[in-house]
Amino acid sequence: MSALIRLADRKVRIEDDSFVLLEEAGADVWPEGDIIVPLADWLARADALKTRTGRTGVWLAPAADTLTLAEKLDGLALIAIQFPKFTDGRGYSHAALLRKRLGWSGEIRAVGEVLRDQVFYMARVGFTAFAVPQGFVAEHLVSGLGDFSVAYQDDAAGAFAPALHNRAAAVREAKIVRTLKVLKRVAAQHPDAAFATSLSAEDMVVTDFIARHKLPIHVVTLDTGRLHDETLGMIGEVKAKYGIDIEVMRPNAEAVEAHVAAHGAYAFYESLELRKECCGIRKVEPLNRALAGRSAWLTGQRRDQAVTRTALPEMERDEARGIAKFNPLADWSWDDVLAYAARFEVPLNPLHARGYPSIGCEPCTRAIRPGEDPRAGRWWWEQADKKECGLHTGPASPSLESAA
Amino acid sequence: MYRYDAVDRLLVEERAAQFRGQTERFLSGELSEDAFKPLRLQNGLYVQRHAPMLRIAIPYGMLSSTQLRTLGRIAQVYDRGYGHFTTRQNIQYNWVEIARVPDILDELAAVEMHGIQTSGNCIRNTTTDHLAGVAADEIVDPRPYCELMRQWSTFNPEFAYLPRKFKVAFNGAGDDRAATGVHDLAFDLKLDAAGEVVMDVMAGGGQGRTPRIAPVIKRDLPWREMLTYTEAVLRAYNRWGRRDNLYKARIKILVESIGAERFAADVEDEWRHLKGGVARIADEEFARIAANFVDPAYLPADEADADLSALRAANPRFDAWLRRNVTSHKRAGYAAVTLSLKRTGPAPGDATGEEMAAAADLADRFSFGELRVSHHQNLVLADVAKKDLHDLWQASEATGFAEPNIGLVTDIIACPGGDFCALANARAIPIATAIQERFSAQKQEEVGELAIKISGCINSCGHHHVGHIGVLGVDKHGEEWYQLLVGGRSDNEVNLGTILGRSIKFEEVPGAVERLVDAYLGARQDGERFIDTVGRIGIAPFKAAAYPEKVEAA
Repeated sequence: MSALIRLADRKVRIEDDSFVLLEEAGADVWPEGDIIVPLADWLARADALKTRTGRTGVWLAPAADTLTLAEKLDGLALIAIQFPKFTDGRGYSHAALLRKRLGWSGEIRAVGEVLRDQVFYMARVGFTAFAVPQGFVAEHLVSGLGDFSVAYQDDAAGAFAPALHNRAAAVREAKIVRTLKVLKRVAAQHPDAAFATSLSAEDMVVTDFIARHKLPIHVVTLDTGRLHDETLGMIGEVKAKYGIDIEVMRPNAEAVEAHVAAHGAYAFYESLELRKECCGIRKVEPLNRALAGRSAWLTGQRRDQAVTRTALPEMERDEARGIAKFNPLADWSWDDVLAYAARFEVPLNPLHARGYPSIGCEPCTRAIRPGEDPRAGRWWWEQADKKECGLHTGPASPSLESAA
Repeated sequence: MYRYDAVDRLLVEERAAQFRGQTERFLSGELSEDAFKPLRLQNGLYVQRHAPMLRIAIPYGMLSSTQLRTLGRIAQVYDRGYGHFTTRQNIQYNWVEIARVPDILDELAAVEMHGIQTSGNCIRNTTTDHLAGVAADEIVDPRPYCELMRQWSTFNPEFAYLPRKFKVAFNGAGDDRAATGVHDLAFDLKLDAAGEVVMDVMAGGGQGRTPRIAPVIKRDLPWREMLTYTEAVLRAYNRWGRRDNLYKARIKILVESIGAERFAADVEDEWRHLKGGVARIADEEFARIAANFVDPAYLPADEADADLSALRAANPRFDAWLRRNVTSHKRAGYAAVTLSLKRTGPAPGDATGEEMAAAADLADRFSFGELRVSHHQNLVLADVAKKDLHDLWQASEATGFAEPNIGLVTDIIACPGGDFCALANARAIPIATAIQERFSAQKQEEVGELAIKISGCINSCGHHHVGHIGVLGVDKHGEEWYQLLVGGRSDNEVNLGTILGRSIKFEEVPGAVERLVDAYLGARQDGERFIDTVGRIGIAPFKAAAYPEKVEAA
């Protein structure tokens, strides 16, 4: 028996084929068991074929008129479409007509020259089974089904949101695929890479990717000593949901004491310099320690988070630290983040629901009102173009590293 | 211009990755030459006379300066320093290594470009008017429709293995500058009485060995049904187009064999089931795409405009450039400027990596960072303020783009021909050069508008059928010979040229062309262009001019 690849419910199965394909029309007697007969036999002698014990399918040559099967589909176990040469594309239109015009929902099987690099197109027009040609390896053919993750056009298998008709869904799917690609590449090229999470919604999404796809990326967070309890609570949530132990970096206690002694506990409200000094002690220095000796780090920054991030590339060179830096969510919108979190049940910092889209240290973060800029609640007494803590030094420069 | 979103970006990245895998399998011997061929072709990779040729899609001719710089860099890093802009608004490189093509595709993907469906028996890159969106005579901006067609036709699973290649063109202007009459499928965009965009659809045109002008098969198609109707046309062609003979496989043969009326009726019958269905264009998606083609930040007319009369009077070459290379614009104070890639010497349409970078700089400085490639194989800066024209002219003189010859005798269209192409019977580029050398600047000014188009073989990549004068390379006992045609045109009054007679030798061509031009000069009446004179006096005087010895004998 030859091998058959079958698609059902977006899953692939490789099985033995129980059907025998009869090439010649006009047989006097049919063999026992499951058979696939030429179109002419089915059109002329369907009633006789239906009285057999085995199941009956029909096969179409490229030049056949598919529409002759209208009203004659009852009793068919499958419809096979023959590809004498893979460059003969008529079979694709047969399948499209069977699905769209005749409403055939049963098996459509590709037989003949069925090769790895065509099965993707075949699946998209409605083929659900592929007869593996002699001498070919089924698994190799199957690998061709995964070449693309999105499509522009309507798709018979329903595997894709067609971008021409449902752009929002297709874009969201594309972003998820591209983010995963970036993360996989980072994991492969930089085994020492660290992801710095602020435990925000964006960073929880990245954490979810890392956990879901078991990526060997170290996760670290900065406990500045002045975070909200809700934020710190997310460390336990991550452990509970994903089993990931986030490494917690803390500021140098002596530096904190010296700063507070010299300037008081709320000096950051007084001037940009003092605020940056505080950020330097509580965030930048601990991050530097976390990244010391590493060749790359990752963030959950997005372009539309802030005016300081509009040119954020997916990958850049962190010149200050002399290492690579990746922003896999660079092109995600806030709605993309929330949609992903809802779809994959990602735990979120409860402060988000209370009007905090961007969360930093407790004294330096407030809720925003509807319609306010998402970063309006960070260092709200400062100019929008100054609102960076110093972790992300700019201007961000796109890296020359290959995009492959 | 259209900017990619995550979907477009992911598709070209995944395509590049897929082709990397296919190339590796081919190089390791796992994929046979035959199995690899259609895969590489659908990524624009041909095997040519000297080396593989890679064709890159420039969708409907629109380029950003960043993209053009990348194309220039690819010419320098992966090729021999230059590229060739084609008659289908694409670019091709003639000297790439197969093993390095995946790297090129990665570099292209990073700037939103690719070689997808630039060859092979599939729906090719959509082409249109190089003045789309800026032409003074434009009725409907065709670019959003071109982009919709690009997306719909990209990896459309049903139509990846057609009987033969399939080329789609759009026109939205009063004057057809997209040669729609010689395309497999073409849309002429206009407005109905209610101001809605509707389309006249033509099918079955083409050049090649059986040149045909496309008949109209549908009038006043509502724009939202553009893709459902296209699906109906393609399905009819995919099912019923001939596959037994390579030379009879284009849709024009199908349309001709059953007749345009019957073909139109068959399509209509198929379309009944499709119209209003899933491929109907949604307003939201159209609006998203159209938002990419809004006007740039034009200056008010009085700030953009300038009185150039003194500079014109002082410099005849600037004056000639203004007349020849500068085109009117829909916007007061602005003009579209053609950078000529028709210098005597280099092949028509060739540009070096340095020249591409220089053109990109000009686009940044003078035209909002965008350019177009015309099917005449020139580059166009579409949005230049008139006050900048003199500066632009000086800068293009310095970079070699200021040849004031657009539309003239030396603005020759030519395919790569026998110097590069494995299909060619004869060379095209040296013929172009030899003709260019015959005509001084003064003489070509005197002659005026005249389109010479040269193909090295019957596949007609040089559009010789629609040249006012066409030159076709033919093989005669292993030697290069050439046929001459007169009277072709690709504008609204599209017409196929008439072959004048027996073919002539390479060295006879420039003289014969000059005699054709002189015959026109002798016969022309006031204000007549070459093509007008041909229309009035017919072909016979040109036959006589082409073969003087025959006249003597008679």
